[in-house]
Amino acid sequence: MTRTDSIDDDCERLLARVAGGDRMALGQLFATEAGRLIAIARRIVRRREVAEEIVQDAFVAVWRRAASFDPARGAGRAWLTTIVRNRALNAVRDGSRLDFADEEQLALFSERSGDAHAALDALSDGDALRRCLSALEPRRRESILLAYVVGCTHGEIAARLDAPVGTVKAWIRRGVIALQECLS
Amino acid sequence: MSVRDDRMARAGDYVLGLMEEAERLRAEADMATDAEFRAAVDLLSNRMAALDDTAGRDPVPEGMWTAIEARLVEADADAATAASSAGRSLSSAPVVDLAARRRQTAWRPALMAASIAAALGIGYLAGTTFSPRPQPVVVVVLDTPDAVPGAIFEAFADDTVRIVPLQDFAVPEGKTLQVWTLYDPAVGPVSLGTLPSAVPAVLRGPDQPLPRADQLYEITLEPAPGSPTGKPTGPILVKGFARRPPG
Repeated sequence: MTRTDSIDDDCERLLARVAGGDRMALGQLFATEAGRLIAIARRIVRRREVAEEIVQDAFVAVWRRAASFDPARGAGRAWLTTIVRNRALNAVRDGSRLDFADEEQLALFSERSGDAHAALDALSDGDALRRCLSALEPRRRESILLAYVVGCTHGEIAARLDAPVGTVKAWIRRGVIALQECLS
Repeated sequence: MSVRDDRMARAGDYVLGLMEEAERLRAEADMATDAEFRAAVDLLSNRMAALDDTAGRDPVPEGMWTAIEARLVEADADAATAASSAGRSLSSAPVVDLAARRRQTAWRPALMAASIAAALGIGYLAGTTFSPRPQPVVVVVLDTPDAVPGAIFEAFADDTVRIVPLQDFAVPEGKTLQVWTLYDPAVGPVSLGTLPSAVPAVLRGPDQPLPRADQLYEITLEPAPGSPTGKPTGPILVKGFARRPPG
């Protein structure tokens, strides 16, 4: 059993206890996962306080919704991550980034693009995802990383890669199909 | 374009987070009935999770769990009001909770700070009951990064905030204290005003929703006469989440 598998097992056991109203189990989940989840949210929302707020809200949501977690679908950790990711994406999609002035917007863009590349580089050499992403046509790969890692919209990717939105959508479509073919 | 390609493309949009809210909810509903779509989503999201792990770990602020616990009590009260028969035992929860506190010694400083702060907050409120002024909607105990109470706020329904510093924050030449609240992450932090030094004051912020429990308040150090960007740029001196006084 790999390390990640055993963490997943722990997560699922804890979530089952949370579903039964065990607050201590939620506390343990918080102790093991909060730092990781704040980091994921911050890569998307860029502000630490907002990322912390999102993770706090997410744990309250987990308390309310743990009963809807379906262990048959596997990874409890992935379920937690999805809740945090969706909240972070909602926060940026509602336009809070428009607060930044143009110059800041540009700096932010290069920072986000750097984060997206760093994430790919940080994958271990043997990781199938790394192999499959690396095999993609570069602009497709870049579009997928910008969307997933830092939460860029189609429009933001189009601006970043200097391409029409329709083209970006086509890159992502072909990219994710090829990626799933490669991973399955 | 095959049905299979369409399914994979849709799973991709879902996992990458590129769907509009309505589209996303529809996809989640479809997962309950469409096993092939669900399998495509699970495959991709479980693999993409490796990228999440590259984000590393951020420090978890002290007191964050305490704030969550306070909200769990509210969530349970809501559930009880809704007469839910989900089997969540309210009576056993505090016992479990105490056990958690004993085991998780790392949380203890934050909890102690919170109780001291709560005591200060109550004392402070008790001293004001003689004057016939309106009751605050929420009270906030703001902690320093060391989890020591640094200020108390009372926020009122008329967009005013009464501020009582508990520490003498050093304000260098050319700097000012700026007071912020976050009532909606989508709006971002909103300035309630500035203070030249750590003195008791009443500030009136812009028109905003009624303060609610768990709303974030903070004071940052900014260049005078206030943050040039309209958002916090300097270090956070104190920060806290609102509580609704009982009654």
